[in-house]
Amino acid sequence: MPDADLSAAAVAHAPLREDALLRVEGLVKHFPLTQGIVFKKTVGQVRAVDGVSFTLASGETLGLVGESGCGKSTVSKLLMALEKPTAGRVFYKGQDVTDLKGKDLRRLRRNIQIIFQDPYSSLNPRMTVGDIVSEPWDIHADVVAPKDRNRRTRELLERVGLNPDFVNRYPHQFSGGQRQRIGIARALALQPEIIICDEPVSALDVSVQAQVVNLLEELQDEFGLAYIFIAHDLSVVRHISDRVAVMYLGAVVEVGTEDDIYEKTAHPYTQALLSAVPVLDPRARQLKQRIMLTGDVPSPANPPSGCRFRTRCWKAQDICVTEPPELVERGQGHPVACHFAESVQIVTSTEATPVD
Amino acid sequence: MSERTPEKGPVGGTPAGSTDSGLLLDGQSGGEPGGPTGTGDVVAHAMASGHGDDGSVDARQASLWSDAWRQLRRNKLFLIAAFLLLVLSVMAMFPGLFSSINPSDRGACQLSSSKLGPRSDAWFGNDIQGCDHYANVIYGARVSMIIGLVVVGGSTIIGIVLGALAGFFGGWFDTLMARITDIVFGLPLLLGAILILGVFPERGLPQVCLALIVLGWPTTLRLFRASVIAVKDTDYVAAARAMGATNGRIIVRHILPNAIAPVLVYATIAVGGIIAAEATLSFLGIGLQLPAVSWGLQIGSGQRLIRTAPHIIFFPSAFLSVTVLSFILLGDALRDALDPKTR
Amino acid sequence: MTSTVPQAVPAPKPTVTGGAPLLEVDDLSVEFRTDYGVVKAVNGISYTLAAGETLAILGESGCGKSVSAQTIMGILDSPPGFVTHGEIRFRGEDLLKMSAKQQRDIRGEEISIVFQDALSSLNPVFTVGAQIGEMFRRHRGASRKDAKASAIELMDKVRIPSAKERVNDYPHQFSGGMRQRVMIAMAIALDPAVLIADEPTTALDVTVQAQIMDLLAELQRETGMGLILITHDLGVVGEIADRIAVMYAGRIVETGATDAVFTAPAMPYTEGLMASIARVDQKGQRLNPIVGAPPNLAMLPPGCEFAPRCPRATDLCVAERPPLREIVPGRRSACHYAEEVLGA
Repeated sequence: MPDADLSAAAVAHAPLREDALLRVEGLVKHFPLTQGIVFKKTVGQVRAVDGVSFTLASGETLGLVGESGCGKSTVSKLLMALEKPTAGRVFYKGQDVTDLKGKDLRRLRRNIQIIFQDPYSSLNPRMTVGDIVSEPWDIHADVVAPKDRNRRTRELLERVGLNPDFVNRYPHQFSGGQRQRIGIARALALQPEIIICDEPVSALDVSVQAQVVNLLEELQDEFGLAYIFIAHDLSVVRHISDRVAVMYLGAVVEVGTEDDIYEKTAHPYTQALLSAVPVLDPRARQLKQRIMLTGDVPSPANPPSGCRFRTRCWKAQDICVTEPPELVERGQGHPVACHFAESVQIVTSTEATPVD
Repeated sequence: MSERTPEKGPVGGTPAGSTDSGLLLDGQSGGEPGGPTGTGDVVAHAMASGHGDDGSVDARQASLWSDAWRQLRRNKLFLIAAFLLLVLSVMAMFPGLFSSINPSDRGACQLSSSKLGPRSDAWFGNDIQGCDHYANVIYGARVSMIIGLVVVGGSTIIGIVLGALAGFFGGWFDTLMARITDIVFGLPLLLGAILILGVFPERGLPQVCLALIVLGWPTTLRLFRASVIAVKDTDYVAAARAMGATNGRIIVRHILPNAIAPVLVYATIAVGGIIAAEATLSFLGIGLQLPAVSWGLQIGSGQRLIRTAPHIIFFPSAFLSVTVLSFILLGDALRDALDPKTR
Repeated sequence: MTSTVPQAVPAPKPTVTGGAPLLEVDDLSVEFRTDYGVVKAVNGISYTLAAGETLAILGESGCGKSVSAQTIMGILDSPPGFVTHGEIRFRGEDLLKMSAKQQRDIRGEEISIVFQDALSSLNPVFTVGAQIGEMFRRHRGASRKDAKASAIELMDKVRIPSAKERVNDYPHQFSGGMRQRVMIAMAIALDPAVLIADEPTTALDVTVQAQIMDLLAELQRETGMGLILITHDLGVVGEIADRIAVMYAGRIVETGATDAVFTAPAMPYTEGLMASIARVDQKGQRLNPIVGAPPNLAMLPPGCEFAPRCPRATDLCVAERPPLREIVPGRRSACHYAEEVLGA
């Protein structure tokens, strides 16, 4: 195994940089479990997000990977201020924006936008495409003057690869890929600095996914956008991300550059996740290791003590039961939350053949 | 259905190479085991190309309401219903235009003509008092239309406002509304009406309307609250909130248009039920009192004479049916017009 | 690679036993007659399945892959769906010509299906034990007690932990992966000769997906049943299937041994699909998407269905629909220029 190049890695993962565009510290979201209708009684807590920290630099893509129920979508809701965090702080350009309300919150929202997973439920079926794309300007009237809105709407549609003459059509008249483009145009309307992409391609057909991923990359280059790219598909995340954070049961278990995560995989969960991704190339498949995890993800209402992954981990020892591992650098070149972190190459990477 | 063929490859004016343009088959990934894969998409496509034909490219900025209006104007059933309701409304407002006899005038009723059947000088025959039944039915439209419209309109507005608040914000207000509606639902219509009308020393049109509204709004509230809750959790509402939309804007622009359909359908069907409920109350003697003229009262009195003088119940019933049918057609047309998918 | 992971196992490779075809689909055409025109969902597809073999039918949504499975299972929505042509022979006998009772006897008992969405395929008001046991009670006339015992045995077989305790649980008490195991248990309860898995892992997480695919492969090895895997996921196909049939716009456009097809596709659509997906073992670079979208099945072009999106399309492709023909032994492609594509 090659020795981790510590200095390069240290630069790459940039622990809580002050100049970060977005900084999240110890984000926690617990949903109360209640019983009864009239007299509600809290009987427990679902620990959807339990102490998540990361930074996002301007123009970069941070991939947030994990299986269903790991809390990645809750993180996106917290960042969008659609949910109130139970604890933790969110900083935007160094300013604490966690408790913003009213006008201040509205101003913040111009800078952070979101693209949803389901292109069918993310567009109001009773609004025309033109209304959907230009609605942000009804709310933030100073972004585009009323007389220019029609023209800007058409420009935006054209930029995302849609015929601008479609402004008067309704969402149901479009295919899934086209609807996702409409959603992207809406997110771009306010000229944000950050776009949270919540599984933006997982509901699309294979051949359309690539079109949308490429569009997102083009827009990033053109407008200098920073993305938080949430997905369960490790292949797409690897493709688009500069850095990747892997989540399990509401916590980040490993974070690092794309190379760190995919070639010097240090957390057993990340290793298992990577090994489970089917590989297309018959030759590469022979080289790949297979780690079969047993059992299911435990309920976030009752997570295991100590390390959350220990119930499914083949490395688990007594210390894992008693002591939750911190997400810190453990000699792998990037932070890992495992007492027994050890870098392993799960997939043999090749450079993609350049596209002509 | 159109000469427009499916666009293949890039549509003119879009950047080539990165577009999946055309209104084509591309649903969610994965087959849906239940339904035939593909049909829904094709239907969507066929409708899409149909829509493209009429407007071609125009500078017009379409909106749901302007498109709905365009759609309504071309809907024959809507035009028929609207015409019938217009006639009935004029009848309610100016009955004198339709009948030279006013049944409330002294001397309008000749007991000697009691229960006579339809004939050339009295088209609808005479009622038990010997009044001209045609004049009765024409003058009855006013009370029935007022009761139908006021009660349905009132309970729909109350139900929508409270239902939107309860569904959207939830919390204690929702719980409170749930308990209040439970209490009203627990009360049978007649018992409830007797209790409410018993409070008033005098019972006329306003009192009857009030009683029926009080008993009617909980249904609308329940219906609307349920559809608000279903719409509230959709991603487009989250998207609107993410762009900074206020709660008011979210309710009016996003939730209301998507949640209103069931209430609209219920309201138009309820018009008939309300007019009939007035008849029941009047028949039992707790609604309008007899010098008043309404279809309800006429149907009530006609029930006893259905064997000997069937025309007495037939004509007001026919008018009531036409009114109710018109409202239902209107509601259906409105619902379809407000759903872009049916265009 | 110096470290080893104890649990690491080599990727399982199902054995190919071959033999006489168990199931033959011969020139099957299905259309949907809707208010908006006739939608040709399946246009003359043919394939065979031998015992012990895994055939993957790969395609995007709307390509007809699920419709063909629904037709085999006799669960096609009819109307609007109609079989207009073709035969489905099971052990040499045409299913479509059998009486309703004969069909019922074969379907469920000899041919069964696992759907994508296990939650909506299970009845929420009955215990999973009762639903698995129902198969034995209805088809085998088993007593309540025997049925329950058989259900526990099956739940063990699909590796549901502590089956004895969980047999009385309801579907919502199981995780997505476990529910899919319950569905598989029901599907294999009567030892079917053919199992159709319609996107069995699409709704599941990757780690669970790997477990389910392994289970299917293992059950197949044990029972020697033929497996038809319907999916849009190229990776899943590569891991488990012996042969592959690629569908596009209602037709099979390429068939062959999985590894051969993935190593060197002979149809531009397959080639394009493989080039367009992001791969976990490859670093960034712009993806290479297929332009455009699949055609409208109600208005199919006269020539090759893929021609409008195909980088190699010529006038011939627009004018004439290429038949599915053998290009090398065991490989078939519906492309006028299959040899060139293969050689590229």
